[in-house]
Amino acid sequence: MDPVAATTLPIPGLLLAGSVAALAASLWLLLPKTSDTANSRRLGLFLGAVGLVGFAATGRSLGCVGEDAVFLTVAGIAVISGLATIVTRSPVYSAIWFAMALAGVSGVLLVLGAQFLGVATIVVYAGAILVMFLFVLMLAQPSGMAPYDRVSNEPMLAAAAGAVLLGLLTLSIGRLSAAEPPSCCRMPSRAQAMAAAAGPTAGTASEDDGSATLIAPVTAGVESVDADEVAHLGAELFGRHLFAVEVAGVLLLVALVGSIAVVSRGEATETDHRRESR
Amino acid sequence: MQSSAANLLVLVPLLPLLPLLGAVCTVLLGRRLGPRAHIPAVAGIGAAAVVALLLLLGTATQVGAGHGDPPRPEPVEIISTLWQWATVGDARSGDLPATEAGVPIAPGTAVSGGTFSIPIALRLDPLTATLLMVITGVGLLVAIYSIGYMHDDPGYPRFFALVAIFVFSMSMLVAASNFLLVYVFWEAVGACSYLLIGFWYTKPEAARAAKKAFLVNRVGDFGLAIAVFLLWMTYGTLNFHDTRLADGTFVEGILGQTRIADEAGYVGGAVGTAICLLMLLAACGKSAQMPLHVWLPDAMEGPTPASALIHAATMVTAGIYLITRSAPLFMGCPGALTMVSIVGATTALVAALIATVQNDLKRVLAYSTISQLGYMFVALGTGTMLGFTAAIFHLVTHAFFKALLFLGAGSVMHAMGGVIDMRRFGGLRHVMPITAATFLIGACALAGVPPFAGFFSKDEVLASLHAKAHPDAHGSDHGEAGRQPPETGIDAGGVADRGVRSFRPASMTSRSSTLASRSTGTTDHAATTEKIGLDALDHPSTWRLLFWMSLLTAGLTAFYTFRAVFMTFTGPVRIPKEAGHHAHESPPVMTNPLLVLAALSALSGVVLFFTDALAHFLAATPSLNAPAVLATAVAHAFHPDIAIQGTLAAAIGIAVAAIGHLGRRSDSPQMERYLGPLGALFANKFYFDPIYAALIVKPLEALAMVTAFFDRAIVDGTVDAIGQVPLAWGSAIRRMQSGLVQRYALAGVVGVLAIVLALAWQLRP
Amino acid sequence: MIPATLLTNALLVGAVLFCLGLVGILTRRNLIVMFLSAELMLQGVSVTLVAWSRYHGDWGGQVLVVFVLTVAACEAAVALVFVLQAFARTGRLDASAWQALREENLPRVIDHGLPADDRVVPTWPHLSPAGVLPEGDDSRSLERDHV
Repeated sequence: MDPVAATTLPIPGLLLAGSVAALAASLWLLLPKTSDTANSRRLGLFLGAVGLVGFAATGRSLGCVGEDAVFLTVAGIAVISGLATIVTRSPVYSAIWFAMALAGVSGVLLVLGAQFLGVATIVVYAGAILVMFLFVLMLAQPSGMAPYDRVSNEPMLAAAAGAVLLGLLTLSIGRLSAAEPPSCCRMPSRAQAMAAAAGPTAGTASEDDGSATLIAPVTAGVESVDADEVAHLGAELFGRHLFAVEVAGVLLLVALVGSIAVVSRGEATETDHRRESR
Repeated sequence: MQSSAANLLVLVPLLPLLPLLGAVCTVLLGRRLGPRAHIPAVAGIGAAAVVALLLLLGTATQVGAGHGDPPRPEPVEIISTLWQWATVGDARSGDLPATEAGVPIAPGTAVSGGTFSIPIALRLDPLTATLLMVITGVGLLVAIYSIGYMHDDPGYPRFFALVAIFVFSMSMLVAASNFLLVYVFWEAVGACSYLLIGFWYTKPEAARAAKKAFLVNRVGDFGLAIAVFLLWMTYGTLNFHDTRLADGTFVEGILGQTRIADEAGYVGGAVGTAICLLMLLAACGKSAQMPLHVWLPDAMEGPTPASALIHAATMVTAGIYLITRSAPLFMGCPGALTMVSIVGATTALVAALIATVQNDLKRVLAYSTISQLGYMFVALGTGTMLGFTAAIFHLVTHAFFKALLFLGAGSVMHAMGGVIDMRRFGGLRHVMPITAATFLIGACALAGVPPFAGFFSKDEVLASLHAKAHPDAHGSDHGEAGRQPPETGIDAGGVADRGVRSFRPASMTSRSSTLASRSTGTTDHAATTEKIGLDALDHPSTWRLLFWMSLLTAGLTAFYTFRAVFMTFTGPVRIPKEAGHHAHESPPVMTNPLLVLAALSALSGVVLFFTDALAHFLAATPSLNAPAVLATAVAHAFHPDIAIQGTLAAAIGIAVAAIGHLGRRSDSPQMERYLGPLGALFANKFYFDPIYAALIVKPLEALAMVTAFFDRAIVDGTVDAIGQVPLAWGSAIRRMQSGLVQRYALAGVVGVLAIVLALAWQLRP
Repeated sequence: MIPATLLTNALLVGAVLFCLGLVGILTRRNLIVMFLSAELMLQGVSVTLVAWSRYHGDWGGQVLVVFVLTVAACEAAVALVFVLQAFARTGRLDASAWQALREENLPRVIDHGLPADDRVVPTWPHLSPAGVLPEGDDSRSLERDHV
C-alpha cells in the first residue's frame, strides 16, 4: 500500500473523486441491462478494477509485506466476489460468488483476530443460509436465467448512489485516522488520557504516523492476537449477555414456528389464489 | 297650542313607523296568515292615514289667518329630531373663519368646527301634511282594492309587504328634513317601484321593465347626488331647518326660516343654476318627464294597484315635491325655473300625442300620467305663488282621479281575464255599471269638465301660465319685481360667477354690497334689464308659447280620455274569450274604493277651490315664504276667460272622440288612419326607445360583454390556473408512487445521501 | 488489539462490501439475488463491527456480530418462506411483479425489449449409438443442458 500523503488532507480529493467515478461507471456497465455487450462488460471490469484499486490506495500499509499480502488477498477475494455477486446474471452463479465472498470475509475476520466469528461465518452463512437459498432457487427457477434477471431497476442512479456513499464512507474513514479530534469535542483524546494514565507504556509497534490524536487502545500492552479468544468470547456472551443469548434462542424458535405457520396457511389458500398478481 | 304642538311632535315619527311595522309583520307572518296576509299592512296604512288626518287637522289649526295684502299666513314648521345618524368631526372644506356663537353664518361658508352631521329629523309643515294625507289616503284605498284584485296571486303577502314599505318610504321622503335623508328615501321608493313593477318576476317583460325603470331612475338619482354634494359645499349643511350645535353655534338650514328671510341667503350664478338643473334632472327621472320618461309606460307590466299607487298618485309626485320644497333655491335662478316649465310643457304635449294612438287602456293612462305631471312642472316653473299652489292642487286632484282611473282599469282587466287591449272588448257599461260610472267621473275630472276636480286645478295651472305670459294684465308689478333675483349677483355677475368657486364670506359680502346698488338701479328699469344665458328664456313670449302648448294638451287630454271611455264602455257588448266567467262587476272590496275616489274627484275641486283652503294652507309652508315668491302672491280669483278657453278645448276634444268612437264597435277602424305618417310617429312613441337603445343600451351591452369576457377568461382563468397548479404538481409527484419497492428504496437512499452530503459540506473543516 | 492501520483497512473493506450490497439490493430484480445482496451488506457490517471491537478491545462488537448472525439466519428462513409464497402467486421470482400498490391511474411498468438470451447453447458431440438404447422414459426432464 502506498503510504498516505500529507496529514492536512487525509485523502487526496482527486483520488477519491476518481475512484468514485470509476466505480460508478463500472457498476453501471456491469449491471445487467438490455444494452450490454461483451465489450461493455469488459470495460466495466476494467473500470471496476481501477476504482477498487483507487479505493484501496486510500488504505494504509500494515507494516510488513507479509501482513499486507495476506490482508490484500483475503480482502480482495471478499470485494471482488461481492462485486461479482451483484452483477452476475444467473442467480445460481450469484449464490456461488456469494460463497466466495463469505470465504473472503471469513479470512478478514480471522486476520482481525476474531477466530470464532471467522469460522461461524462459514458454518452458519455458507453452510446453512446459502444452502437454503440454493434450495429455493432450484425449486423456483430450475431453468436458470429468467428474463427479469437480465434487466436491472435504475442501474445508473443506484450505481451513482452506491459509489457516492462509498466515497463518503471512505472520506470519513480516512479522516478518522489522520484528522485532529473534532473541535466540538472538549474531552481529551483517549490517547492523551491513556497516555496520561498508563504512563510511558506505548501502544503496538505498528503505528505509523505516531500522531498524538490516535485513539489509543483501552488496555495497553495486550497482544494483537488473542490465543483464548474463543473462550473469552464465550465468557463474555454467557456472562454479560446471557439474557440476550437466551432471547436469541427463543427468536430462533419463533422463526421456526412462524415459518411453518405461514407455509401451512399459504398452502390452504394457494388453491384459491393461484393467480397472477395485479 | 303648546300641547297640541307637542302632540304633533309625537305623532310625526309615528306616521311612517306604522306602515313599517305592518310591513315587518307581513314579512314575518305572511305565509302563516294565508288569505288574511293583508291585515297587518292594511292596518298599518290605515292607522297611518288616521295619523295623517290628525296631523293635517293639527297643522291647519296652527295656520293663522295671516296678514298683509293679500293675506299671507305666518310659516308653520314643526321639527322632530329622532337621533343623530352620522357625525364626522373636522370635515372642513377649505379655509374658514371662526364664527361667533349666535351669529348667522353667511351663505357660502362651511360650518365652523367643520362637523358633518346628519340628524334623523322629520318635519311637519303644510306641504308635508298635505302630501302625507294624499299618500296614506290613496295608499289605504289602493290596499283595500288589492285585497280583491290580488286575491288569487301566490305572491299575496309579498305584495302587501311591498305596498306597506312603499308607504313608509314615501312618507319619510316627504317628511324628511335633511337632503341626505331625502336622497335615501328617494332611492328607497325607486327600489320599491322596481320590486313592484317586477312583481311577477318570472315574466321576462316584467323583469325587463323593472330593470329599465330602475336604471332610468338611476340617471336622475345621479343628478340628485351631485346636487346634494354641491349643496353641502355651498351651504355647509344639508338640513332644511335651522339647528344649533352642541357648542352653541347656530347653523342656518338650507330651507330654514332664517335663510329664507335673508335677501342674500342663496347662491345664484353658475353654482346655483347647476344645483337647480341637477334637481330638475332628478325630478325628471322620478316624475317621468322627458327625456327620462321611457320607464313609465313599460311599468304597466306591474300589478294595476301598484300602478295606481306608485305610478299615478304618489311616487311620481316626488319630483314635484322636491322642486316645491326647494322653491327658494330655484327663485334665485330664473333660467332654471323656465327650463322646468319648458320641460313640463314639452313632455305634456308629446305624451298627449302618443296617448291618442294607444290601444292598451293602461298605456293610455300611463301617458296621461306623464302628461299631467308635465302640467304640474309647467305650473312650478312659473315661480309664482299661484304656480306653486296650482301645482300642488293639481297633484292632489290628479292623485284622486288618476288612482280612480287606474283602479277602474284594473277592475276591467280583472273582469276581462287579463285582457286590456281596448279593441278586444266593448260596451262594458252593461256588464260593469259601477266601474263604468266611476270611470266616467274620473275621465271627466281628467279632461277638465266642470265642475269636477280636474277642471279647477287645470284652470289654476293655465292661469299661472297666463299671468307669466301677460305680466301687465294681472296687476303684477309685484310679479315682475318679485321675479328679480336677489342681490347675490345673477345678471352680469352670472357670467363672472361661472368660473368662481370660492365662497369666502368677505368676498360675498363685498359683491353683494356692490351689486345691491346695481340691482336697485335695475329694479327701476325692470323692462329693460338684459338677461344672459339660460335666464334669457324667461321672456313673456316663451310663456305665451307654453300657454298655447298647454291649452292644446288640454284638448288632446280630453280626446284620448274619452276615446278610451267610448271604446271600453260604449258600443255593442263584446267580451273576449279569456274572460270566461269573470265578466261581471267586481266585488265590493274593489268597487268601494272606486266610489270613494269618485266622490273625491267630483267634490274636492269645488271644495278646495272656492274655500281657497289649500292655497291658504300651503302659503304657510316655509319654502313658499321666500320673499321672491311672496312678492308674486295675488288675491284669489276665478279667471273666467281662462276657464272658458280650457273648457272649450275640452269640449272640442270630447266631441272629436265622440264622432270617432261613441257607440261604435271598439275594433272598428280608428281615426288615426287620418294622421298618416304622424300616426306612426306617435304610435312608435317618437322613437325614444330605439334611439336610447342605439345610443346607450347597445354600447353598454357591448361594454358589459367585454367585461364579462374579462371576468370569465382572465380573472376566472387566473384563479382556475392557480387552482390547477397543485393539481399539476400532484400529478407529477404522484408518478413516483409506482408500486415498485426497489424504486422506493432507491429514493430513500438518494434522499439520505443528499442529507449526508449537505451535512458533510456544512461540517467540512 | 489491532493497530489503527488494520482498523482503517478493515473498515474500508466493510464499507466496500456494504455499498456493493446496497447497489445489488436496489438494482437486481431477482428476489434471491436481492436477498444475497442484503446478506452482503450484513457481512460488511459484521466486518466493521469486529474491526472496531478488536481495536478497542471491547467484546460488545463481536457479541453483536454473533447476534447479527443469529438474526440473519432467522430472517433468511422467514424471508425465504415469503419468497416461496410470492413465487406461488406469480410463478416467478421477480420483484417488479408486485406493483399493486401504485397510484390508481398509473399504468403497470412492463419490460420492453428484453435482451436476448446470449447464452451459448452448447452443442454436445453427437455419438453414434452403441449398443441397445435402454428402455424407459424419454423425458429430458432429468437432463439439464445449462444451469
